[in-house]
Amino acid sequence: MDLMLIAKAIGALAVIGLGTSAVLATAAKRFHVEVDPRIEAVAAALPGSNCGACGNASCFAAAEGIAAGEKPVNACVAGGQKVADAIALILGAEACATAAVISARHCGGGIAAVRSYTYSGVTSCAAASRLAGGPLACSAGCLGFGDCARACPFGAISMDERGLPVIDPVKCTGCGICVRECPRGHITLLEMVPEAAPVVVRCSAHDKVKGRKANCSMCCIACKKCEKECPSDAIHVIDMLAVVDYDKCTGCGTCVAVCPQKCIDLYGRVEGVDAVVADGAGPESQAAPLQVGA
Amino acid sequence: MSTVSQLALLFIGAALVNNILLTRFIGLCPFFGVSGNMETSVGMSLAVVFVMMMASSATWAVWEYVLAPLGVGEFLYIPAFILIIASLVQFVEMYLRKASPILYRAMGIYLPLITTNCAVLATATEAAKPGFFKMNIALGASLSLGEALIYTLGVSVGFGFALVTFAALRERLDLAPVSRLFKGSPIAFITAGLLSLAYVGMSGWFGL
Repeated sequence: MDLMLIAKAIGALAVIGLGTSAVLATAAKRFHVEVDPRIEAVAAALPGSNCGACGNASCFAAAEGIAAGEKPVNACVAGGQKVADAIALILGAEACATAAVISARHCGGGIAAVRSYTYSGVTSCAAASRLAGGPLACSAGCLGFGDCARACPFGAISMDERGLPVIDPVKCTGCGICVRECPRGHITLLEMVPEAAPVVVRCSAHDKVKGRKANCSMCCIACKKCEKECPSDAIHVIDMLAVVDYDKCTGCGTCVAVCPQKCIDLYGRVEGVDAVVADGAGPESQAAPLQVGA
Repeated sequence: MSTVSQLALLFIGAALVNNILLTRFIGLCPFFGVSGNMETSVGMSLAVVFVMMMASSATWAVWEYVLAPLGVGEFLYIPAFILIIASLVQFVEMYLRKASPILYRAMGIYLPLITTNCAVLATATEAAKPGFFKMNIALGASLSLGEALIYTLGVSVGFGFALVTFAALRERLDLAPVSRLFKGSPIAFITAGLLSLAYVGMSGWFGL
């Protein structure tokens, strides 16, 4: 063993390490840039998960924008009203109301949906959707590999035994990352809906109804029962798919009860509804019409 | 010892014949990562030229004055060079932030991104301790500082050239009538392969 060589190696690395750290320490002092102290305060008030929903690359970049007055105090989507109020307090600006949204899944197919071929590649929706549009016969359904669940920085999405992502409306902050990650997000498989949205349609297909039923037993068959029965004219079949108008919906639950396909669910941050439990359970579990929050 | 023609050969050899991206296949992550649009690829190329030149000068000096005299360079060069390049980029970032906020804004995102990029490390190593790429230029066992810098400039310009070309191709590809199965990454990989073939076609030029 050449002890001299070992000593030299340790010495050389130590010299380089100490030298560079000394230079860096001096530079940190010497080239210190005075930053607006409000930026630090705003950054501390933000959630710090760097979700990017506001359009900035990081929470710190958003804090710079907010402190400089380029962005409104309610720029943080994930933080919602609470964070907006805290930032408004720091900056002395008037807080304005934020429109809170949460993510909703428009599909009830999961592993029950018909496959047009057997996919055995990488377990990722993005990869699967690039192979001839994905293994599902339905062009709009959930591929079920959980890209959204992995992408969610708040742990609000979990995959259940049906192969579908279940979104916890309490944990969901509305950052919209899942919608961007979902390869079918642009055809509203995942969509941001108002946080108090009482019902959600579990289908996003726009194919012909006949072929659609062969592809998936859970789909909307455009029978218009919900449209006829709705007392407040809030649900309409548009392009062969039931769509809820959340401005009018009162959450009476009539559509949930009449849907023959059971593809309409109770959802949202509504008092008395555990949306995670209600997910896909159909009207049986929620026989009594619900009361929308006081 | 080097003549002007030899230096020119060194530059061309580094930039085109032994293009680091398409002939050597080093630094492929930014090649696919930031070639989505023209603007970011140009920014990335400029940052790479800048960082590679700084890194090569630093590693050359450390090799020449610390590692080689002590006889520990053969097995210590990779940790030493990583350490030096990482702290150098940190230092440059701090300096730029103070001295030129505009340049800092323009390069800010790319500087930390390429701190430990394999292309930067490979070039800085090759400049200080040649022999890995085996280019047939009679320049002796080690490069002088000038030669090392010209070599590095060649590599980084070649990197930028390949990256910007590929970004331009990808922008065209977005509009091209590509089959549904090949749209997106698959056709990009195929294009990169064809582009690489074109570059490999230059091997042997000027006896390099």
